[in-house]
Amino acid sequence: MPSLKDIKTQINSVGSTKKITSAMKMVAASKLRRSQEKAEAARPYSSRLEEMLASLASSAVSGEGIIKLLTGTGNDQNYIVVPVSADRGLCGGFNSSINREAFKLAKSLEGSGKIVQLMPVGKKSRDFFNRVMKDQIIESFVDLNVSSTGYESALNISNKLQELYFDGKFDKCILVFNKFKSAISQEVTQQQLIPLDVSNSEKEEEKENSSNAIYDYEPDEETILKDLLPKNVSIQIFKVLLESDAGEQGARMAAMDNATRNAGEMIDSLTLKYNRTRQAFITKELIEIISGAESI
Amino acid sequence: MANISFDLVSPEKLLFNDKVGMIIVPGKDGDLGILPGHSKVISTLRPGRVMIYGEDKNLLKSFFVSGGFAEINPEKCIVLAENVDELSYLEKSLVEKEIQQLESQNEMKTNEQLLIAKAKLDAINFTFYNTI
Repeated sequence: MPSLKDIKTQINSVGSTKKITSAMKMVAASKLRRSQEKAEAARPYSSRLEEMLASLASSAVSGEGIIKLLTGTGNDQNYIVVPVSADRGLCGGFNSSINREAFKLAKSLEGSGKIVQLMPVGKKSRDFFNRVMKDQIIESFVDLNVSSTGYESALNISNKLQELYFDGKFDKCILVFNKFKSAISQEVTQQQLIPLDVSNSEKEEEKENSSNAIYDYEPDEETILKDLLPKNVSIQIFKVLLESDAGEQGARMAAMDNATRNAGEMIDSLTLKYNRTRQAFITKELIEIISGAESI
Repeated sequence: MANISFDLVSPEKLLFNDKVGMIIVPGKDGDLGILPGHSKVISTLRPGRVMIYGEDKNLLKSFFVSGGFAEINPEKCIVLAENVDELSYLEKSLVEKEIQQLESQNEMKTNEQLLIAKAKLDAINFTFYNTI
């Protein structure tokens, strides 16, 4: 049976852990609000870019040069998988679910005879894939800090990807990231980045087709498309980074909320145990005194 | 008076969203003056000034954009731009310094940045379109 002093120290240490986790929760909550605002502020740009692209996509017929971002290389052999995780832990299953999903995807692609390369974003996925698939990593991006550096960080990734793509290093690029659903839930999502997945915007296209048909293009459709496509890749990455950042804060908030609650429960049960032990101790002393008095 | 709704959007945020009388955007092949009822156009932009006018043709705001796209239809004009600065907040001396720095590097990579910086300086110096 633990002594009273032992229980007391335990209560104190759980109490200080609780303080830390509740502080982390508060920090995550305020960061979440900021990240969410950022993600929402970026939405108009990307949605309008997509609209524009949807109206232009139908005009792309030739598979030369930059247009390849839309039409693909015609091959289906080399894949690049980009898992987007956080730089820091203590956010529940946020990072591990990304790593698991990306790992599963890479293995299943390899299983069907494809060549898979990796480009992890975020420390947690870099570390994970450094352990399990070290020689397939071609580049990694860490410490992006997207909420403060903004668009620049997405541009770096996008430039690197396009450089590799036009060098013929890969045919398809798939992003694995946490989609921000609400403050407490994230959804692991796969998105094909290159070539552009038009099936997403197809529905919109049909809807708007009648009104889009009569646009004038200046200088001409192909030139605009050549400008638009690389930009779209960067914007998609930017959007994903922001979503993932907001998701991370949400996941951390939920995880820390849980930890705080658990710590509270633990303190309650320890306090109960402490009081019981103390009471037992008092009773024991009383019995000793009484039986001592009786024997006289 | 007729008006046209105008959005100026950068990847980071929505910078301007209101009904205005007229906008001038720097199209790739020349400046476009956009009035309500403009025909449908999608255009790429060169580095330059985006000027926003009220319904009585007074200058409301002017921005510098480093490039981007404009989508125009009779009721609405949307400008998607990557780097947007409000002209009144730009400092001439800072831009000149930037140009000097870029010129001293003289690499392929900085060439584009140099062009943008020069266009930015021009945008600060030019006064045409200020009153129309």
